[in-house]
Amino acid sequence: MSEIFVITSGKGGVGKTTTTANLGMGLAMRGKRVVLIDTDTGLRNLDLLLGLENRIMYDLIDVTEGRVPYKKALVRHKKVDSLFLLPTSQVKDKTAVDPEALVKLCNEMREEFDYILIDCPAGIEQGFKTAIAAADVAIVVTMPEISAVRDADKIIGELGRAEKDTIKLIVNRIRPQMVENGDMLGMDDINDILSIDCIGQVPDDEKVVTSTNRGEPCITMSDSLAGQAYRNIVGRLMGENIPFMTFPKPGFFEKLKHVFGH
Amino acid sequence: MSEEIVKIKGSAAGGLQLTFAPQATFASIYDDIRAKLTDGNGFFLRGTLVQFPREVFSDDERSQLTKLFHKYGLIFRPLESGTASHSGHERHSFASSLLDQETPAATATALPNWMNEAVAAAENAQSEAPAAEPDPAPKATAAEPAARPAPAESAPEPPAVQEMVVVNRTLRGGQEIRTQSSVLVCGNVNPGAQIIAGGSIDIRGTCRGVVHAGAYGDTSAFIVADQLIPTQIRIASLIARSPDAPAGSNEQSAGAERASIKDGQIVIEPIKR
Repeated sequence: MSEIFVITSGKGGVGKTTTTANLGMGLAMRGKRVVLIDTDTGLRNLDLLLGLENRIMYDLIDVTEGRVPYKKALVRHKKVDSLFLLPTSQVKDKTAVDPEALVKLCNEMREEFDYILIDCPAGIEQGFKTAIAAADVAIVVTMPEISAVRDADKIIGELGRAEKDTIKLIVNRIRPQMVENGDMLGMDDINDILSIDCIGQVPDDEKVVTSTNRGEPCITMSDSLAGQAYRNIVGRLMGENIPFMTFPKPGFFEKLKHVFGH
Repeated sequence: MSEEIVKIKGSAAGGLQLTFAPQATFASIYDDIRAKLTDGNGFFLRGTLVQFPREVFSDDERSQLTKLFHKYGLIFRPLESGTASHSGHERHSFASSLLDQETPAATATALPNWMNEAVAAAENAQSEAPAAEPDPAPKATAAEPAARPAPAESAPEPPAVQEMVVVNRTLRGGQEIRTQSSVLVCGNVNPGAQIIAGGSIDIRGTCRGVVHAGAYGDTSAFIVADQLIPTQIRIASLIARSPDAPAGSNEQSAGAERASIKDGQIVIEPIKR
């Protein structure tokens, strides 16, 4: 029984594509057969994050317009061989994909894959509507920032209108120290407004930047906090009950040192 | 505002009414209307009734205009001469005075639909019930700049207001409830959401959006919420907004509160429930 997830957010830059790459990688490392579909036509990035840009032969548009069978367009990941990418076109725009064609494609793929992850473009226009058309579950990514939360709220409303009722939340780029100081929205504030099931709290981590530039999702790094958070999310998606990470706080002695000016 | 060729305001039949500058030629009127229709995005809802004084146009001109409005999905119909008495163009429209003095620049380009309807209903009140006893307390106008010649009387709401709309979910940003009756929300009203009700509004949850009770002029309407921290409260023709708290201060009211009009002002008081 395969599941189709769409990773969406409304606002740009909150980490949809990073999340897609990491969750895909994580599920595949657990031995699942996974395909990632990039629907951000014209602004594709998912291939970069996976380090697969130079292997692309065909794209999503070629498939939905019937020029090639989808298996020909899939790019296998170079290290994890149960992970595939269906990239999109960099020259066309969002109107080039027909929602019904995408639904048909996903249903075809259900036969072959355990998980289908769709990376949604920012915004609530056609690209968004196309991306969510096929999904069983929507994962809304947001950040502890007022505009990102506001947009997530709007997206949840739109998903409800499209009758996508299974919605999960991932809060990305949390800076525990700022939350502690009251300079950033905390999880309570976010849950208060969005009130949907949260499956992940990912800390802001510089390693995400380096891993993005290297084309290797940070979930593969054992020393990355964000990677650990993504591994936890993967476990939760597979039905395991994993408690949320607690972020290391400066200990009592370190605070004491601060007081005494060390 | 300089003299406009075509003025639009709410009309007796619940639609819009046009009045024209006396010296305007038909060509200029036609062009002005077309310009308004093209750029007034969202102002002219499809299906809205547009009326005009019958004697202004010849048959030919009238059919041209009818076609123009029809293209944009509006119904264009001459006003019956009996009710045409208030078609003079010297009177200020409620809506435009609101625009001039109340509404921030962001909304100044297109008048929000609710205002449009509110105007229609208010005009409705004036022309359909001239015989009703004079309103004892024209509270609504006290805080309103005196642009409007007559207060929005509380008495005749549009008919069939008795039922209540129940919303059994959280209203999220961008969602809107618009009704002539009262509204009960079992859930939150999030920032960016809007409720426009002819009657009162009861929110069993936290209210952070924009709420407008008594949108058709009922000054006795009120708003109740478990946590009342809305972006804006509007009751009848009064508007109040939350104070500009310093960023980050997350002020939470202790319990349920009720907003209503007292002495021409929106007053918020704690209640038990």
